[in-house]
Amino acid sequence: MTERGTDVDAMWDSLDRQLEQIPLELEQERDAFYSQSEYDVYRLHYTGLDGYQLFSWLSVPLSANGPVPALLRMPDYGSVHDIVYTPLRSSAVVMNPTHRGQRHSDSQFQAEYPGLLTEGIDRLHTFVMMRVFADALRAVDVLLAQTSAQVGAVALTGQGLGGTLSLFAAARRPRITAVAADTPLALGHPDVLDHELAYPLDELNDYLRVYPHRSEAILASTAPLDPVAAAPKVQVPVLLSLGSRDRGLCPLPIGEQLAARLPDCDVRVYDGGSEGGGHPHGVVRAAWLRERIGLV
Amino acid sequence: MGRITTDSKIAKDGGGKALADQKDLDAVVTQVTRPGDFDDFWERVLAGLAEVPLEPLIAPETMRSNADVDVSRVYYRSLDGIEISGWYCVPTQGEGPFPAVIRFPGYKGEPGMRRDWGRKEVVSLTVAVRGKLGSNADFNPGYPGLLTHGIEGRDTYGYKGVISDCVRGIDFLLSRPEVDPQRIFACGSSQGGGLTLITSALRPEIKGGVAGYPFLCCYPESMQMLRSYPYDELTCYARANPDRVEEMLETLRYYDAVNFAPGIKCPMVVGIALEDEVCPPGTSYAAYQALTGPKELWLFPDSGHGNAHEYPAKETAWLEQQISKSQTGGSND
Repeated sequence: MTERGTDVDAMWDSLDRQLEQIPLELEQERDAFYSQSEYDVYRLHYTGLDGYQLFSWLSVPLSANGPVPALLRMPDYGSVHDIVYTPLRSSAVVMNPTHRGQRHSDSQFQAEYPGLLTEGIDRLHTFVMMRVFADALRAVDVLLAQTSAQVGAVALTGQGLGGTLSLFAAARRPRITAVAADTPLALGHPDVLDHELAYPLDELNDYLRVYPHRSEAILASTAPLDPVAAAPKVQVPVLLSLGSRDRGLCPLPIGEQLAARLPDCDVRVYDGGSEGGGHPHGVVRAAWLRERIGLV
Repeated sequence: MGRITTDSKIAKDGGGKALADQKDLDAVVTQVTRPGDFDDFWERVLAGLAEVPLEPLIAPETMRSNADVDVSRVYYRSLDGIEISGWYCVPTQGEGPFPAVIRFPGYKGEPGMRRDWGRKEVVSLTVAVRGKLGSNADFNPGYPGLLTHGIEGRDTYGYKGVISDCVRGIDFLLSRPEVDPQRIFACGSSQGGGLTLITSALRPEIKGGVAGYPFLCCYPESMQMLRSYPYDELTCYARANPDRVEEMLETLRYYDAVNFAPGIKCPMVVGIALEDEVCPPGTSYAAYQALTGPKELWLFPDSGHGNAHEYPAKETAWLEQQISKSQTGGSND
């Protein structure tokens, strides 16, 4: 890991070089209990940054013949990442990877909620969220390396933290075709502390109440994770949803900056909070994803 | 910058017919029936629970506390001696004893704290039932996993402990001198909605509740209506254990919120999202229909599970109204 003050691109390049040197050690285990007539469910175990043991759910349609579109749903901010559930699982490979600290990836570190967002935050090299982002990049590598199906177009989706992980992974992995990001976590944006915040972003204020002299340090540690700064590198189409009253994930002014800096962005603003567009946007997102990965 | 659309009616353009409407709800007739010994079973569970010492502990959380509220992590013992944790928020201003709101958790998420109640001079407790972080040292079936854990029999089912943990949350509040025992209210969404109904039936100390998008209702119908988790865990179990389906369904009769609903005497709200693909609207409506006390129904036509924009504010407003109407009953001293 790199200390503050260094170039963000160089830091990400260095992190990718570290990942390249760690064998995936991918193990795939079919889960007979959750597999169904239209798709098989797999439990994937693999190795991430620092040799950390990671887990992912994967579902593969039994009708797969040749390259199959894939959907990778990045994890939200919470201890559980769902077993794959989407109607698309009948016709697409779907992967739900966990990051370190979440259930199934918690043998070495168990995340706390609230707490994860500021774990080791005063220094970049101890900041757990940096490694969470590395785990997201690793998940894309695993999807492309797994042997249960040949993967075609790949879309990334996610809400909150998952939305930001999707954007970063698309910026760093050229195989990605499209991103649907809902209320992406605005951690790292220089203005984030200027807004009235709710959890999880409000964990930053909790931390600063106890350590008021560390505000510069946490802004430096989180800066490489700013989705607005990374946005111009996302060269694929992005469907972005925002909630006009969101205080916990992506305050609207930051979301609007993000939309403005994404080269190809279809942004939808809803009259909601951190839940973004809720059901109406779910309908829009499903149709948009189907079109982008060729499931029309 | 791309196209900006601000339109909450998009679902109707792209989604076709809603999952349910009022006519569909009115047509719901559940197969769920109440076992003859339902009350005896739960009396026995509560009697066993009463023998477990509560052993309450309070650990202040300086980082989470602020000018309005002192936040603590609390611990107490529940069924089988398992230690349960929760977030406990006590107002720093005002004069107690305070009214209290107990919040029950959803299926897979970790329960958050409700510091906002502190500003309103209300105590809040959010319960991390067994299996949640902080309460999973001795019981950890995971998600998926909890819904079928021990489902072979009513006495082995994991939810016997989960429900006991919620009941014990009321005991914790009653043990606190800063809580007004006459003004305890309950709420929760999804599994928390189901647990709000169930706990309100078991504990008359609860004076009103809001059950949002309630889970744990009409298991047989829920299994047939949708293929989404968590209910799909039951379908997977049935497929893997065809010879045990009858005993599974028999167990679930003792844990169906529809069977608890007639026992609720306090005012109760049921909130239903008509596009809910996790907890089918008709199953939540069956629970509402089974309520025999004062009741209110909130329907959210253009919303899915847990994401009706107006729900959180409505829940808070209703609870505030009930609290302001309630009478101060003294302290637990």
